[in-house]
Amino acid sequence: MNLQRNIVPKFHQINALHFPDFQTNKIKEGINFYSINAGTEPVIRLDLVFNAGLNQQLKRAESSFTASMLSEGTTTKTALELADALDYYGAYFQTRGSSDDATASLYCLEKHLKKCLPLFIEAIVDSIFPEKELDIIKRNSIQKLIVNEKKNSYLLRKNFYQNLLGINHPYAFFSEKVDIENISVSDLKLFYQNNYLEGLKYLLLSGKFSNETLYFIQESISASILQNRLTNSLIPAITSSFGNHFIEKKDAVQCAIRIGKLSILRSHPDFRKLQLLNLIFGGYFGSRLMKNIREEKGLTYGIYAALETYKNASVWYIDTEMNNKNRQSGVDEIYKEMKLLGTQLIGKEELEIAKNFLLGSFLRSLDGPFSLADRFKILIDNNLSKEYYTEFVKIINQISSEELLEIANIYLKQDKLVEVIVGKS
Amino acid sequence: MINYTKFTLDNGLTVIHHPDDSTQLCVLNILYKVGSRDENASKTGFAHLFEHLMFGGSANIPEFDTELQNAGGESNAFTSNDITNYYITLPANNIETGFWLESDRMLSLNFSQKSLDIQKKVVIEEFKERYLNQPYGDVWLKILPLAYHVHPYNWPTIGKEISHIEAFELPEVKDFFQNYYAPNNAILVVAGNINLQTCKDLCNKWFLPIEKKETKKADYLQEPVQKEARSEHIYNDVPLDLLVKAYHMGGRMDVDYYACDLLSDILGSGKSARLFNSLVKERRLFSELDTYISGDTDPGLFLVEGKLMKGIDFAVAEAAILEELEIIKSTKVNKDELIKVLNKTETNVHFGDVSVLNRAMKLAFAEFLGDIGLVHSEVEQYFKVTPELMQSVAKKMFVETNCSTLYYHAKK
Repeated sequence: MNLQRNIVPKFHQINALHFPDFQTNKIKEGINFYSINAGTEPVIRLDLVFNAGLNQQLKRAESSFTASMLSEGTTTKTALELADALDYYGAYFQTRGSSDDATASLYCLEKHLKKCLPLFIEAIVDSIFPEKELDIIKRNSIQKLIVNEKKNSYLLRKNFYQNLLGINHPYAFFSEKVDIENISVSDLKLFYQNNYLEGLKYLLLSGKFSNETLYFIQESISASILQNRLTNSLIPAITSSFGNHFIEKKDAVQCAIRIGKLSILRSHPDFRKLQLLNLIFGGYFGSRLMKNIREEKGLTYGIYAALETYKNASVWYIDTEMNNKNRQSGVDEIYKEMKLLGTQLIGKEELEIAKNFLLGSFLRSLDGPFSLADRFKILIDNNLSKEYYTEFVKIINQISSEELLEIANIYLKQDKLVEVIVGKS
Repeated sequence: MINYTKFTLDNGLTVIHHPDDSTQLCVLNILYKVGSRDENASKTGFAHLFEHLMFGGSANIPEFDTELQNAGGESNAFTSNDITNYYITLPANNIETGFWLESDRMLSLNFSQKSLDIQKKVVIEEFKERYLNQPYGDVWLKILPLAYHVHPYNWPTIGKEISHIEAFELPEVKDFFQNYYAPNNAILVVAGNINLQTCKDLCNKWFLPIEKKETKKADYLQEPVQKEARSEHIYNDVPLDLLVKAYHMGGRMDVDYYACDLLSDILGSGKSARLFNSLVKERRLFSELDTYISGDTDPGLFLVEGKLMKGIDFAVAEAAILEELEIIKSTKVNKDELIKVLNKTETNVHFGDVSVLNRAMKLAFAEFLGDIGLVHSEVEQYFKVTPELMQSVAKKMFVETNCSTLYYHAKK
């Protein structure tokens, strides 16, 4: 039999997907312990999520500095002793402040958990914020900041968020040198007391583990002094400066461009439809922006559009770095494509491909215990039910071009846009 | 434990099947045994440019990406000094589309002039974005020619300069394809939710009909032992001074490889590492300081790279690094310190194996190295390293006549 290479193999649509069960236990008042048991490797990740992100920050830069200082020493161990003890068991201890919370994570092999967990908890509940360590971190952060300020992509992001969300909005916070210089041990201790010791929101365990491990974690955290007393304060985002902003960069061989506007929250009924529309516009390799500006015109190595969601704001934008010389034609093309979304129906074939790709990529994002945990965290943080993801498949499969045209005219209209360009004029 | 079955088709294609029914996905990973080390010194960057062209349509399929996306799949690739690696992930029940696509572009590309013209432009923008328009982006472009005088590791995979990329013509694309993109010069890994029989059937259906080719391997010289300390000063519009020291080490299959990797962990990885504690925290000479190995197949580099604190001289900073290297040469590392980095290595291996795609790549690369058993014995190899071996490796490697040093000055 001759092989027919020009005939596409039979395609199977994704109609349902398996989102594995997670378990919920209660640690103490207001603190849940979620866990997802999945995967093939004997590894675990334990996340402690605190009310300690930019959104809870009262003094500039305290969120990120408190997060980095958590591992810098306790009443009985210096920073080095703590690092040595955890490293000895091959464990990783990572803390990071983000927009709506801060997470302390322990990564280790399950067989070492009994040794690692007490160290992890000690670092979190008995942190002493030594002056000397803070001084080192401050100086190193200033050095990093100086390098960042030379990067087009950093300048672009900073200017974009500050113009779009308002310079005082927590999500638009970028440390300045003076913020770093002004941070003191007493600031950090206060933030630590209120937002960590009394600000534990929940625990999230993922990986492959036994019941014994689960109980051990449950017991250990229950016995700790960690509590949840803090409630969120939310600040509305108000765009301060619509329109075009240009930042001169003398020696730039490329320019960096970001264009965008405020958008809808994840819990909004139209959000998932907008996700599909965004994908068609600039969310994957086969998107209109990539096809036109990279694959047809070769103006850039990459261009994409994204929906970035936070607890109380959502941002939609297009981002690219491109040839400085052809900047104007690139920007014109972006606006042209944006306009097309609201004036012309998306073709049947293009819509089918995007739907299939989105569902396939959704399946990929559910692969492995840690990706599942990240997906699950989105549900927790946005108060969404488990059905959110199963409904997703149905919504995407059913949506029509007409509906997307409507969505484009509501959410992707060319008004209230902020455009930032970093480059050579 | 990564289970696998290996077999070879009559056309020389090596196939490795790795089943995992805990995932809803399937992966096709195909490694072609060609990288930038196979390029001519006056025509660099070709293996990588060629990688871009592999997405530009094949004999029977005009649009690779469209067909793949339509089946819910995603694909990407990377080029290194030694290999070019392509991968596709798909929902498991659509895996045949992956076989169809991968086999067609192995059979023949459509060699479009337009695709070549566009991808040359795209790669040039990539060159600018990654290597020219970033502070310190050109470090690799500077350090490699210093360390390698005759071996093709002399240039990075993106190429030596933009003019090389601009000059490529279609006949060269055809020749390159004809020579290197052959079933007998490739390793295919099929992993995920697929059984062995289905895998074999699909391989026979789609790949077996592709004919074997005469692949001529590029000839190149091995780098002779370096006999003199090398250095270069460059001045650029960056905010901080950067010091890079590159020492020649062994190749990937060299007995010393694992000892070098562990040395780099002890010296420079994580918050309990030696250089971080002595030079960043105690003496405050650097704000960032890392050690790492290049991990190439042929003899590679052991790198020490750090940004100097404002106001610190290169001479002081460099002397401090040399003092630390002297300590690890003259004193054996103690047992606990060794156990620590071994445990870290074990953790890294297991975390890396969480993803089925990573496991597929790891299988392909181990087979490329000539020992697929490495996927199981890798951790053991590390545990065989002794303090004595580490000391003797350090003594041999950390010698200034074996080193290239780059002084990257912040222009005042």
